[in-house]
Amino acid sequence: MVAFRSTDTSGRTTGLLLRCILYSLLALGLIIVDKRYDHLGKIRRFLSVVAYPVQVAVASPFEGWDWFRESVSSRETLRADKAKLEAELRLANFRLQRYEALEAETQRLRALRENTAGVANRFIVGNIMDLDIDAFRERVLVDKGARDGVFVGQAVLDAGGVFGQVSRVEELTSEVILVSDAAHAIPVQINRNGLRTIAVGTGDMTRLKLPYLSTSADVVAGDLLVTSGLGGGFPAGYPVGTIAEVKRDPAQSLAEVEVRPAAALDRSREVMFVWLKTAEAQSTAAPGPSAASPSAPGPAAPSTSASPPQHPGTPKK
Amino acid sequence: MALSALGALALAVMPLPTAVDAFRPDFLVLVVFYWSIESPRAGGLALAFAAGLALDVIRGVVLGEHALAVTLMAAWATHLRLRLRVFSVLSQSLTIFALLTGYQFVLFWVDGATGNPVTTFSRWLAPIIGALIWPLLAGALSRLHDR
Repeated sequence: MVAFRSTDTSGRTTGLLLRCILYSLLALGLIIVDKRYDHLGKIRRFLSVVAYPVQVAVASPFEGWDWFRESVSSRETLRADKAKLEAELRLANFRLQRYEALEAETQRLRALRENTAGVANRFIVGNIMDLDIDAFRERVLVDKGARDGVFVGQAVLDAGGVFGQVSRVEELTSEVILVSDAAHAIPVQINRNGLRTIAVGTGDMTRLKLPYLSTSADVVAGDLLVTSGLGGGFPAGYPVGTIAEVKRDPAQSLAEVEVRPAAALDRSREVMFVWLKTAEAQSTAAPGPSAASPSAPGPAAPSTSASPPQHPGTPKK
Repeated sequence: MALSALGALALAVMPLPTAVDAFRPDFLVLVVFYWSIESPRAGGLALAFAAGLALDVIRGVVLGEHALAVTLMAAWATHLRLRLRVFSVLSQSLTIFALLTGYQFVLFWVDGATGNPVTTFSRWLAPIIGALIWPLLAGALSRLHDR
């Protein structure tokens, strides 16, 4: 038996039922007001600032341990890391040269078509806080908030591709819903043939699915999925994932398509918040977008102009 | 009391590997139950309500959801407390299991009513784990309380 040592053994707690009803009504009222109206934003922000120290206090030992391990790592490890990073940087620079030329060209083509949908304009980097918000939803907390200009619905990328979007903004932090959350959907396009559809999360960080493709749709395993930029939330042309598996059941009208996300959803520590160019800013900036990239003047090979950057997709059947 | 609640709040958001994450018991709720049974006048339903609100803010769900669930179940625990104190460990754990299941049910209901249901079965694991660690947690808390 667990020892309760309390001397408070009076049979009744006065008005327990009354207080229970009172608090429950208060909670119900909060739920309704929070759901129906948006008046609680300020209260929520204030409370989240109060909660921030707790969140930092919990996250810091784990981050501190990482820092400690890094700072005592040996000279050899550091040298090896440095060599590896330099090699990666060199490779990335090679790729970038081509990318800048392509981007300049894309900008010009877009300007011709007056199509300003989804061109990324500005980035800031945020660190994912080492916290589990909810075991059943794929959300993470990032240390950038309203103070940094983050807004709800903003696209979030990581080094590999599309990470998610901002679902809630507090003063100092924001909550990002991952592309793999079961409640998340993102407009995408198959890079090989431009087929547009919607990628929906599954609640599993390693899988997305495309539930709205018919069995006759031209999609094969290995196809690269990129954002289509439709709907305006996400910049166009960023990788979302690669098709892992296509199941076609002739009895069904829709194919079951599984996608492996491109972003390292379970491993990323840093993510980028993206601001899209607005139509006006785009039209003024359109003539000289390549000004920032003098290293890559002139158009790239003509054959690359129609299709976005390289993709690992298999050729058409 | 406030310290134990803060500690439990920290445990509730502490990072765990994803594989173990679904098995995390609702520490804060268990601590609230403990105080509801041990000395309902110290924290009472106000503590329960505040703890629930803290969970709402940290988890980013609709305000009042956890507050409602914790308040209702803490009231029930307070109502049962005289009986609970003389129960055997097994009966106590079973009662806590019932309370935690009720807690999850209220959350489930509010989730559904506000339009973002979580339908994975793993959410019903937490009451089982919670009931299993209850003797340990209550023992530890009463040690600390005795100091």
